Amino acid sequence: MNAVAEPVPRAPVSRASTGRILVLIGRLALAAVFLVAAYAKLKPQVAMPWSTVSVKTSLAMFAMEVDSYQLLPPSYVSLVAHALPPFELFLGLWLLSGIAQRFSALASTLLIAGLFTVVVRTYALGLSINCGCFGPGEQLGTTTLLRDGSLLALSAAVTIGAFLLRRKQGEAASSAVVAPQRAE
Amino acid sequence: MKYEAQSWCGSNTLNRARARWAKSAAWPLILASVLVLGLIPHASARTTRSAAKATETIPAPIKAYGSKNAPITLEVFADYECPSCGNFYEETLRPMINDYVAAGKVYLVHCDFPLSMHKYGYEAARWANAAAIIGRFGEAEGALYGNQNYWAESGNIEKYMAAALSPTDLKRVEKLMDGCDMSVAPGSHTCPLDAYIEQDRALGSQIPVQATPTFVIYHKGQKFPAASGVVTWPVLKQFFDQLLSQ
Repeated sequence: MNAVAEPVPRAPVSRASTGRILVLIGRLALAAVFLVAAYAKLKPQVAMPWSTVSVKTSLAMFAMEVDSYQLLPPSYVSLVAHALPPFELFLGLWLLSGIAQRFSALASTLLIAGLFTVVVRTYALGLSINCGCFGPGEQLGTTTLLRDGSLLALSAAVTIGAFLLRRKQGEAASSAVVAPQRAE
Repeated sequence: MKYEAQSWCGSNTLNRARARWAKSAAWPLILASVLVLGLIPHASARTTRSAAKATETIPAPIKAYGSKNAPITLEVFADYECPSCGNFYEETLRPMINDYVAAGKVYLVHCDFPLSMHKYGYEAARWANAAAIIGRFGEAEGALYGNQNYWAESGNIEKYMAAALSPTDLKRVEKLMDGCDMSVAPGSHTCPLDAYIEQDRALGSQIPVQATPTFVIYHKGQKFPAASGVVTWPVLKQFFDQLLSQ
């Protein structure tokens, strides 16, 4: 009877589970963002079926958008344009899978931080170009800055949360190992 | 450089719109509307007639390079006073004209989209249209972009047109520029050339053009999404090569 009356330490457990849920929601949101971004860049830009040719055409079109940032020489433009959409696809799937989530979140933060820096630089220079973030057609402006800034904040929060959760899990695991020894 | 007759900015869009219109089943409604509208005395009929008369009396300006039968069409919406448009012309369009346009691979169409933030952009477009009417668009465009920094400050466009055109051609252009003084407001009916500029602007607004330069690529009857900003010729060429390989 006495054991039943003992207070159960609920608060830390519920805080950890809330944290886990928030990290999960944030991670899934980031995964969706990257998958949509990759799809928008790889999909056929005109009415034609999906094929190697359609993907090559879409990537060549994306290369023009990368080039309009006036940041890279043409040879690097092609390299970035061909590497970024597949990497976004990979990152989206990685975030979705939840495998080593703190590292996938960190990769996401670094990528978004890099892209955000480029967008801010372009805006500051006053270049009137398409963002190319989610396929063609979107003019780079304050909306782009706000959206990318919010995504960066979200990704940073998910990364910090994922690392904190991992640390708590590590602490809990070590205390679970230590506790029986004390009991002995 | 060859200038194709019967080609104009937005012709691809217009052709598709015409085809859709022809296929539509709204013919009785359209005919009825035309009859009703014809019976109503319209307050702006006089101005509409004068604008129509203006475009009828002078031939349409041909602001294009290359063959209309080229597999790729590139429509560029630009403002002659916009520095990015100048860079795009010098770094991308000029080498493209000498290469893929000359080889019959690309048909380049210029569309006017003068921005209100530029003091002399509209006037420059008038000069270019006047030169295009007499078949000297290439010379005029080259002179406008080549000396953009100078006339954008002084407003003296005529000086650079005089340097680019022969005296005879200049006289013909100046005659076409009658009623198109810089004091005349853009889109005015006193300047017959404004009708062509406004036509291009209307087409640009449909895209919609949000900044200059904006360009649209057509290939095999398909229109690619519009792109903005300066794209270098090697990167644009890669895209064209990808299209041409299909």
